[in-house]
Amino acid sequence: MTSSNMTCDEFDTALPDYLEGTLDDSRRAAVEGHLSECVRCASMLRDIENIQKGAAAMPDLVPSRDLWLGIESRIAAPVIPLATRPAPQRRMAPAWMGIAAAALIASTAGITYMLTANSLRPAKSSTVAAVTPSSPLQPTNGADSGVPAESTSAPSPVGAVAVTRQPDVTGSRVAARETPPPQRIPVQLVSQSSDRAHSDVVYGREIEMLQNIVSQRRTQLDSSTVAIIERNLQIIDAAIAQSRAALARDPASQMLDQQLTHALDKKVELLRTAAMLPAST
Amino acid sequence: MAAASNLAHAAMGDTTDVALAAGGDRQAFERLYRTHANRVFSICARMSGSRTKGEELTQDVFVRTWEKLPQFRGESAFSTWLHRLAVNVVLNARKTEGRQASRTDDGEVDDERWDEAARAPMHIERMDLTDAIAGLPAGARRVFVLHDVEGYKHEEIAEMMGITSGGSKAQLHRARLLLREALER
Repeated sequence: MTSSNMTCDEFDTALPDYLEGTLDDSRRAAVEGHLSECVRCASMLRDIENIQKGAAAMPDLVPSRDLWLGIESRIAAPVIPLATRPAPQRRMAPAWMGIAAAALIASTAGITYMLTANSLRPAKSSTVAAVTPSSPLQPTNGADSGVPAESTSAPSPVGAVAVTRQPDVTGSRVAARETPPPQRIPVQLVSQSSDRAHSDVVYGREIEMLQNIVSQRRTQLDSSTVAIIERNLQIIDAAIAQSRAALARDPASQMLDQQLTHALDKKVELLRTAAMLPAST
Repeated sequence: MAAASNLAHAAMGDTTDVALAAGGDRQAFERLYRTHANRVFSICARMSGSRTKGEELTQDVFVRTWEKLPQFRGESAFSTWLHRLAVNVVLNARKTEGRQASRTDDGEVDDERWDEAARAPMHIERMDLTDAIAGLPAGARRVFVLHDVEGYKHEEIAEMMGITSGGSKAQLHRARLLLREALER
């Protein structure tokens, strides 16, 4: 207790507001009176003011290493554009991710079933796109397929395809001779197959890169999150395998090709999301 | 004067780079990172009380920044927006880790302590302020860093941390007294 009628305990109580400058005039005068007479409390005030000044003047810290590489690998942008970039990204709840993947499988399996069933029906060919009625096995016109209308004999990656094209005298048909075909594939498929192969390479590269990032970040992520990601990847991989199998049976199907692309997109999207997740979420 | 000019220049550079980075330009984003990395790291390391954790969180902050840049409307300076984002990332990380972390006697989640190996050389006789801050209980440390180091007001801190303004004041006073005690040792 001092002559200012303020005890040290009262000073301690009033100190935070005094430092904030929120005391009314009479209380502030009492605090200042006490400070002028009490060494202990004056010393405390001086120390705290020094701490405040020191804190406000603290220099920036410097990381022990360059963090940019880790950041860059996580934001590494997509070789394959999906929708549009970072519009506000909602984090998909695990349950919804599961449902989305299940829907993907269901639609892929349904389409596979339909197409497989169709292909087993006798006297109905589903392999040739855009052929003339009198020649169901002939390839389409080069102008439609994007393949120059000249002789081609390069083997298709999908199977035995060697198509010799001759100029059509009437202009309405393309004559074709084919090597003994276990299965005949129109010229259009040569282009589609090579597009698919190129697309597979691009997707493969992207997926490999993202898988590397995700695998490096495994330890930083919550184990339940990792488990969900892996489960969903298995589901998507199953969908991809089904689409590939169906596409091998019916290489002409653009729908199956799109399904496969869609499944690959899903895989890239999930891996990218996982690669960008903050640590321990 | 020169400092003010540098700040203005940095802000102008930020504006251009923010626009470029929001459009997907990673080189522009790297420039933003280089400009602000130390500041963000300081916030993350001081609030978490760990340099190692601070580095992880800094990476998280910039990944989040990349994701959220298209939403930045320029209503405040980019640095202000970025620092606020950093604080939120640190606080959210705490909430997530809270489930797994041990609890201290006073009921607060205790952070990993300032890494011995990574910290700057410490004064032998007197602990320096950086180390003393790292040794504070988590709640007091976060409020102290936000108020006395970063300059946020109690109302802002209360909103960010989900506490009352009075709670923020109490934590701050407690932190200052604990720091005084630690620095006097």
